[in-house]
Amino acid sequence: MTNDMIRLLLLDGLMAAIAAIGFAVISNPPKNAILVSAILAALGHSLRFFLIKSGLDISLATFVAATFIGLLSILFARIIHCPAEVFSFPSLLPMIPGMFAYRTILSLIRFMQNSDTIKTQGFMLDFFHNGLTTLFILLALVVGVSLPLLLFPKLSFSVTRKY
Amino acid sequence: MNGSPINNQPTIEQTAVLLIDIASALMSSGAHTMRIIQNVSRMAETFGYEMDLSVFQLSIMMTIVSKDDPGKLLTQIRKIKPLHLNFTIVSELSALSWDTYDKKLPFDEVTSNYHHILNQKRMNSWLVLLLVAIANASFCGLFKGDFIAMIFVFFATLAGFFVRQGMLKKHINHLVVFTTSAFVASLLAGMGYVLHIGHTPEIALASSVLFLIPGVPLINSILDILQGHILTGMARLVNATSLIVCIAIGLFTSMLILGLEKL
Repeated sequence: MTNDMIRLLLLDGLMAAIAAIGFAVISNPPKNAILVSAILAALGHSLRFFLIKSGLDISLATFVAATFIGLLSILFARIIHCPAEVFSFPSLLPMIPGMFAYRTILSLIRFMQNSDTIKTQGFMLDFFHNGLTTLFILLALVVGVSLPLLLFPKLSFSVTRKY
Repeated sequence: MNGSPINNQPTIEQTAVLLIDIASALMSSGAHTMRIIQNVSRMAETFGYEMDLSVFQLSIMMTIVSKDDPGKLLTQIRKIKPLHLNFTIVSELSALSWDTYDKKLPFDEVTSNYHHILNQKRMNSWLVLLLVAIANASFCGLFKGDFIAMIFVFFATLAGFFVRQGMLKKHINHLVVFTTSAFVASLLAGMGYVLHIGHTPEIALASSVLFLIPGVPLINSILDILQGHILTGMARLVNATSLIVCIAIGLFTSMLILGLEKL
């Protein structure tokens, strides 16, 4: 791994952490959970960045990163006695496929406004490519993060128990 | 009667009101259905009742039956307040339910703790506004937007989120709120296009509205569906999807006004 790659990874993690803090405070979490969601977002997002750079497909990389966040969140939940979803959800938000969603809508609009057959075929292709990517990334995020919750239900419902 | 250690045993009506209040508070703070059922049934068990709960988008229905006397039962329906995410409430009510169960807390103490948790102040709204704007700007950076795009997104989010906070305080319809704030944010972010500043104006435009994406309801909906609460999950999904459509409408409107739809 080159120095340049490490620098990019750190930058990616830092920006993901800042984004996670901002999106977390909308849902008014407990103070120590904000910090944890920043850490999880940084780790998860830079893991995804690394996986994509090593040639993995974006939705598969998202799934791996989300599962990683989900597992870590159960660990942190036991430490700070706070339900896992309180900080695992905000730390997923930087991975929401915003650009893909935007391009989906854009290609749909262009498809509606054009009458040229060849052009519209290209827009339809864009629409399906971006739309399916959006959908699969979203599913990968949710299924990945909730896998640990589904696999260890006892554990994840008893984290706020202090005795 | 049966040697209960607590002298002033609450009536079944009082218990039912407290339990359904807690369930409805959890629902409007953004907990998923499984957690609500787990928390509330744990508390019901402590007070000596068995509980059945069904959760809908707008109301909760609950029956509690006394464990000592199956003839003693009560059914209640309670409206759910509009969703206002508050994970502090989710976290602390969850902890309260375990405390009740483990320490066998008396009813009065549970009630006063519940009111204390519900009346806690939220984080300062100006601070939230600032943090959301910074977050969305760095989100734009994650999408490979340049520094100028990030500045545009910062101010666009500042304006858009301000509009959203103000309109939500006045209890205007959520769909209208989301459309308007998406419109305001994307109108400002689209200025980069119009004035030809920066190299990545399209990334600024696209990420300016992303602070509105209802991430938590989306994740909750899939989680509910995976755990078998399909109706509630679908209700949440439809709700989140209609908000996303509203964001798209707001974005599209400002693109039409700025003349960007032919790009």
